[in-house]
Amino acid sequence: MKKTSKTKNLLMAWSALGGIAAGLLGVSGQAMAQEVTVASWGGTYQEALRKAFYGPASKETGITIKDVTLKGIADVRLQVKANAVVWDVAELFGGGCEQARREDLSEPLDYSVIKTDGIPPQLVNSHWIAINSYSTVMAWNTDRVKNPPKNWAEFFDNKKVPGTRSISPQSVTVEMALLADGVPADKLYPLDLDRAFKKLAEFKPQVTTFWMTGAASTQLALSGEVDMLTMWTSRAQAAKNEGAKIDYTYEGALLGIQCLMVPKGAKNKANAMKVIASMLTPEIQANLPHHVAYSPINAKAMDTGKIPPELARTLNSSPENRAKQVVVDVMWWADHGQEVQERFDKLMK
Amino acid sequence: MSGQGGTSLGLTAPAGLNAEGIAEDIRRERRNLRLLASPALGLVLVLIIGPMLWLFYLSFYNEHGQFTFEHYARMFDEGAYFTIFWTTFEVSAIVTLFCALLGYPLAYLLAQMPARWANIVMLGVLVPFWTALLVRTYAWLVLLQRRGLVNDTLVSWGIIDQPLALVHNLTGTLIGMTHVMIPFLVLPLYATMKTIDPNLLRASGSLGASPTRAFWSVYYPLSAPGLYAGMILVFIFCLGFYVTPAVLGGGRVIMIAQRIDNSVSLYPSWGAASALGVVLLLITIVLMVVGLWISKLARR
Amino acid sequence: MSKQGLSVTVTGINKKFGSHVALDNVNIFIKPGEFISLLGPSGSGKTTLLMILAGFARPDSGSVKFGETEMIRMPPHKRNIGMMFQNYALFPHMTVGENVAYPLKLRRTPKAEIVQRVTAALDLVKLAQYGDRRVDQLSGGQRQRVALARAVVFQPQVLLMDEPLSALDKNLREQMQIEIRQLHEKLGMTTITVTHDQREALTMSDRVAVIDHGKLMQFGTPVELYERPANRFVAGFIGESTFIEHEGRTLVVRPERLQVEKPGQLNGGDWIKFAGRVQSVIFQGDSLLSTVLLSDKAGGQGVALQLRQTVSRTAAGNGSLNIDTEVEIGLHRGDAIFLDESKQ
Repeated sequence: MKKTSKTKNLLMAWSALGGIAAGLLGVSGQAMAQEVTVASWGGTYQEALRKAFYGPASKETGITIKDVTLKGIADVRLQVKANAVVWDVAELFGGGCEQARREDLSEPLDYSVIKTDGIPPQLVNSHWIAINSYSTVMAWNTDRVKNPPKNWAEFFDNKKVPGTRSISPQSVTVEMALLADGVPADKLYPLDLDRAFKKLAEFKPQVTTFWMTGAASTQLALSGEVDMLTMWTSRAQAAKNEGAKIDYTYEGALLGIQCLMVPKGAKNKANAMKVIASMLTPEIQANLPHHVAYSPINAKAMDTGKIPPELARTLNSSPENRAKQVVVDVMWWADHGQEVQERFDKLMK
Repeated sequence: MSGQGGTSLGLTAPAGLNAEGIAEDIRRERRNLRLLASPALGLVLVLIIGPMLWLFYLSFYNEHGQFTFEHYARMFDEGAYFTIFWTTFEVSAIVTLFCALLGYPLAYLLAQMPARWANIVMLGVLVPFWTALLVRTYAWLVLLQRRGLVNDTLVSWGIIDQPLALVHNLTGTLIGMTHVMIPFLVLPLYATMKTIDPNLLRASGSLGASPTRAFWSVYYPLSAPGLYAGMILVFIFCLGFYVTPAVLGGGRVIMIAQRIDNSVSLYPSWGAASALGVVLLLITIVLMVVGLWISKLARR
Repeated sequence: MSKQGLSVTVTGINKKFGSHVALDNVNIFIKPGEFISLLGPSGSGKTTLLMILAGFARPDSGSVKFGETEMIRMPPHKRNIGMMFQNYALFPHMTVGENVAYPLKLRRTPKAEIVQRVTAALDLVKLAQYGDRRVDQLSGGQRQRVALARAVVFQPQVLLMDEPLSALDKNLREQMQIEIRQLHEKLGMTTITVTHDQREALTMSDRVAVIDHGKLMQFGTPVELYERPANRFVAGFIGESTFIEHEGRTLVVRPERLQVEKPGQLNGGDWIKFAGRVQSVIFQGDSLLSTVLLSDKAGGQGVALQLRQTVSRTAAGNGSLNIDTEVEIGLHRGDAIFLDESKQ
């Protein structure tokens, strides 16, 4: 009698614990057969992707697309290393996809499914493929800045153009610093990091605040907290559309690409290939500029008739805008991404 | 009647009557208590001690699974890490101090109020506590920014010409963190203050102590354990702060949690981040031991 | 260590809590060195009066003078009073010695003198060996003594005590009553204590102020209060008594003043006589407490009269006290207390 009640006590206590643990782990082992999970950068950008890419691709393939947000390659690494891959497709930028390939974090893409017609061959890789092109520009508050900076040299010089500033301690800010320091655009790569960070260290005291996320840059622009800042065009154009007193220029902007990869061990690999293929078709690619100020990567999208000429002229990849910009070297970043971030961390302390 | 055993009603009880059974009852109760506590202990072991040991283990391996001291060596080689640790402890100490300076009078006020009013004011302390940290942090951003409510008001009243730099710097970080942490100081302090007999202050007054003197010689020492508990709580929480300095610091206040996050995304292995965590944990333990030792010294 | 106390003059103290009158024009003059008790039921206002004397409560109007000095607007810490609290209010973070030294430290007494006076004070309350103990290691009685030592160590000229003995058990309480009284003889400060225990008040005090509903009912020596109660409240509150309407006046009958005999056997002396039947007899060790239901048409018919007789007297006496027997009860006219109710 005593024995059993004691055992019962213990049993109850442990089974309660077990119940909690089961709840925490979420007993949702099996994924839906026709579902693919895609991770991207969130915010207004991902809203645009939902309308431009995910919706139509889902319709075309019959595969449900569930979209989630990521913060970068670390999220992919975490899932792969922990052997708990829940994403089927992840979107990274610049050298991120290539870096993932080198770290053996990605599955090879199936080019029997994915058609690459119209996509620049240097942006088609065994393990990743570009999906769109984006630009990082300088933007300013039209109320407070009557003579906006004409180039990075002026942006980096608050005597020339007075006002408060914000930049991001990451990625193409290095290119901006070198351009500001007088390096010609065609001699940019390989980037001279010592020179770039010397320039950034000098510039740092003039920076009111450093932004870390796209959302933060939008907030800074909308609230008028700073007079000029670097921004992604998706964010800058969205703010402008919302009526913010803000403008930006493609002059000296950095033109980069976003890319898709399939995390190693993804559960719905086959469907992931179908979804990627669908998002790269000219028809679906052509949806993008209607929702966000980025450009399709598939040149054939321009021939679909879905992009009127006046919209085509404003695209960041239009010949006119492209001429003003500097194209980011994806391979250089795949080699040096970690080193650059270490230097940024040191700069920020 | 004359036996060694107790006598009652003329009966003699044998020595050690029922002693074995009573001892067995005591043992059984203890065993049951241990059994009931075992799930909690199991949780601590599985969810806290285990991961900590794993972290410690990870901090000695690189991405190729080789044993290495490189993650620790990097911390010593680069001055930046020293600066970040220093910033972390400095910010935590200042926030702890602010919380103590603001929270002590608040807790005192609460403790002196009639219970009904105290409960209402306590609600005021706790409501923000239930709001998401991120929401509160952004609320401060809205209040403190260049064209925020505070600056706009001050400018419109003509108190200042140019907006003050209240955010995107140390000031903003301290304001935000102090606001977040104050309940952690007030709650244990209030609980301690409620146990102080109000007659003690009267007694002190009747014996000749001015209100100030009575406070410092009687009330303060008796409330000090609650204050220390609150301060330790606040300080330790502050060490791990991430969101508030990230949003309100404007990149000027880099604390260790931000660097740990950076390290996770930057390096292919978790060793770097783990090593930072291990060092933070060790420094914290050392500081706590020293702190307890000093407060014990101070009390005697 | 002896030092003469100050007179305490309380004049026209009024205090209301909302619409409740806590103190109603209270006037008391306490002579230097006198030991008095404020006695009354709970809620009578006695504690409020003590708090006003200590400076912890403010009256709506009135005056409190220690000697010739007006105190009414003086904060507590400048009144130089010793105060003992009901729960002793010892500082838990200090040792016994530190507690007693506290008022001396506040007065910047030199170190050597502090040591000497603390030792003397602890000696006085028979706790000489306890200086280094922590407060929570003491028994209730010991705490009470420490509180007393702390309240007198700085030789205040006025000592206030709020229900000082209420937390002690009966034996200890009676012992402490005597000790406190002896300490007062030795130190001589004017002492005012609050109590709801009439026996304690009568035992310790030179004079007792009886308070009810915020009014001073009577202020006099224990004997005066007992023998000549000013009104029905005092007569009822102090000692045991039965009220009987007699010859058109109210007679206060104390149970121990009665003589009981078989009917017709009460002889000699000038008796006020009652007749009745014994209802109950209770053995209380040293005495018998009986209740007699009066049947006398002359006065007090239907009153249940209590009477107390010492056991020795009963044993040696007439054995008349049996339940249901008819008895005759006599009260010496000299022991009769008639209330003058016209005053009220």
